[in-house]
Amino acid sequence: MPSRRQPPPRSLDDLLRRHVIVCTGSGGVGKTTTSAALALRAADAGQRAIVCTIDPARRLAQSLGLDELDNSPRQVPDSAFGGDPPRGELWAMMLDMKTTFDDMILDLTTPERARAIFENPFYKHVSSTLAGTQEYMAMEKLWELHEEGRWELIVIDTPPTRSALDFLDAPRRLTDFLEGRLLKLLLWPTIAAGRGYLRALSFGTQVMLKTVTRVTGSELFADVASFFAAFEGMYGSFKARAERVKELLVAPRTAFVVVATPHEAMLREARYFAERLAEEHAPLGAVIVNRAHSVPSAPGLEDPLATEARTSDPALAWALRTYASWRELSLREDSLVCSVLGDIGRAPLWRVPDFAEEVHDIPALRRVAEALAGS
Amino acid sequence: MTPRLTGSRVAVVSGKGGVGKTTVAAALALASSRSGKRTLLMEVEGRQGIAPVFGHHAIGYQEHRLAPNLLGVSVEPDDALVDYLQLFYGIRRIGRVLAGTKAIEFATNTAPGLRDILLIGKAKEAERRREEGAYTFDHIVIDAPPTGRLPRFLGAPRAIADLVSGGPIRQQAQGVLDMVHDPKRLQVVLVAQPEDMPVRETEEAAENLRKMEIALGPVVVNGIWPEAPDLGGDPASALGSAAARLGLGEEAIARLSAVAAAHARRVAHQREAVAGLRRGIDLPMATLPFLFTPQIARAELEELASILAGSEAF
Ligand SMILES: Nc1ncnc2c1ncn2[C@@H]1O[C@H](COP(=O)(O)OP(=O)(O)O)[C@@H](O)[C@H]1O
Ligand SMILES: Nc1ncnc2c1ncn2[C@@H]1O[C@H](COP(=O)(O)OP(=O)(O)O)[C@@H](O)[C@H]1O
Ligand SMILES: [Mg+2]
Ligand SMILES: [Mg+2]
Repeated sequence: MPSRRQPPPRSLDDLLRRHVIVCTGSGGVGKTTTSAALALRAADAGQRAIVCTIDPARRLAQSLGLDELDNSPRQVPDSAFGGDPPRGELWAMMLDMKTTFDDMILDLTTPERARAIFENPFYKHVSSTLAGTQEYMAMEKLWELHEEGRWELIVIDTPPTRSALDFLDAPRRLTDFLEGRLLKLLLWPTIAAGRGYLRALSFGTQVMLKTVTRVTGSELFADVASFFAAFEGMYGSFKARAERVKELLVAPRTAFVVVATPHEAMLREARYFAERLAEEHAPLGAVIVNRAHSVPSAPGLEDPLATEARTSDPALAWALRTYASWRELSLREDSLVCSVLGDIGRAPLWRVPDFAEEVHDIPALRRVAEALAGS
Repeated sequence: MTPRLTGSRVAVVSGKGGVGKTTVAAALALASSRSGKRTLLMEVEGRQGIAPVFGHHAIGYQEHRLAPNLLGVSVEPDDALVDYLQLFYGIRRIGRVLAGTKAIEFATNTAPGLRDILLIGKAKEAERRREEGAYTFDHIVIDAPPTGRLPRFLGAPRAIADLVSGGPIRQQAQGVLDMVHDPKRLQVVLVAQPEDMPVRETEEAAENLRKMEIALGPVVVNGIWPEAPDLGGDPASALGSAAARLGLGEEAIARLSAVAAAHARRVAHQREAVAGLRRGIDLPMATLPFLFTPQIARAELEELASILAGSEAF
């Protein structure tokens, strides 16, 4: 479904006028840091903004007042701002997948049914480890925050999954899974326990069934079967919910931000992700190259190693050699960024320098936001 | 006995995402193979990270020669499952029927631990493989999942053993369990970067692995920046007069000072992180320099392999 497209933002502050910002990228590139910096910037500009983080570094969580993992929004206390509180409000929360899943089930069904589901061993597995669940829960939380209507800007961090595709596909994948077409087929022997049904299936399905049951053992399948029995009747609501989330994700006031570091693998993931977003008609707001080493040239520094040969001052010689190394790194990063990213989606490309130390408090997050605003 | 990088038949190389697991695994495998060991470098997440550092386009499920004495392989759970079914049931047809359906992806994603056990199972198969009465490989280096997923990866055999009471998967799990908990057969080599967060994650990972009774090899600290002289608090004034004598202008001096200051900050931070790691972890360490190139290709890899081979922890 094509959305009413918005042109990409012209600046950071333009981006922050959206209602939802989703930060994506490979693990470790700085998604959580960027998410927090964006929400902080909006709060500093007078908005009521919330950042929903996933696995924040412990010190960052502490600086945001998130020492409790309780899955609910908290306003970042004034004491966190070192005497310089924002004009608006900064809220933060840490996503707890299992609680979010539990809450959603409680919301969709009767307490008895919910209890049956919670006690199922397979549910414990699904709610914590199944591929795609984490992405889906992040989206569920986004929907809840959006519904609450208290925030002008919601910045949502995403799990460090390998495949960006999982994330965009989360609603569909999870409903497909819960509707369990394939699974019901697999469970046929457990549910129907009749050879007659088996004969009616295609040869391929029969082989597959027998094999999978043989390989995984049958207790697991009994758990899975009762799990799906308990879910009977909830599929419809799940699906409706997932579809609303998807709509929110492609809404004109939503923007995706793709974060990468200037390394080939990360940049390739970023590019792939930007392409997926385009396919899904999801709006790409900006690409952020984090931890960049941008070293500009200056008159007299065109050939620092030749200059080094002319000095006998050890400190200056060292500085020139070091400059030469950094400059080379900077040039190689730039050419890598250009060759891998090209001009994806006309979205702006912003750089944040490598600060050489952890970004774990409000002043450091403000430096990240400054860098974004200035690039 | 002090752990060594080559002290077990299998080295599982892990670390926080992006710290250099693939690079270090490749360098370690290359160093091993150059010392005369028949080595297998195995990638388990299908990322095709190994191929480019060796200058190949891609490597697949077939073992592929990367250097003298060194084979590389990229294992996918799908292939491993088909392989496994053929091995245990001798039915080639199953593989063909299943290939291309979503069934395998589904089965490996749904059954807890199935995916991981197939992958480590593949490593175990290589570790036990024999030709003419001797082991085929002397050293198997695995480019493993990041530390966040490592407990699940290495814990899969136990999880499966707890979940499934019989059948071939259970047997497979037991065989893998035996390897995972034998320090002569398997150890984890953690890669850290000289920064706070990766160091703390390394310490936590080490702690978890110890609790799981899995042996730890030396830690490889990857990406050490060259030391900086002390220029005092103000590099611009420390460099200013000598720079002016060379005819460098204000802008050049400002740029030089900015880089000098950034480098000094980075090195100070690194010193602290490495000292913290030494205090926090009771394991030998090998260090690799930061190379001022965002891409590691064959030449850089050879350099890193030589440094590893020359380290005491090798
Ligand atoms: N520009 C930067 N300079 C220095 N350190 C950074 C920068 N951005 C992020 N970091 C640090 O990198 C680590 C990973 O960042 P994080 O935001 O948690 O990544 P992700 O959420 O993508 O896994 C954190 O320790 C963070 O403080
Ligand atoms: N010692 C080093 N010096 C410079 N760059 C490095 C070094 N080690 C790794 N890199 C680069 O860092 C990036 C991440 O390394 P990689 O080995 O792919 O990490 P991982 O496998 O942990 O994700 C790659 O671009 C790689 O070329
Ligand atoms: Mg994060
Ligand atoms: Mg890797």
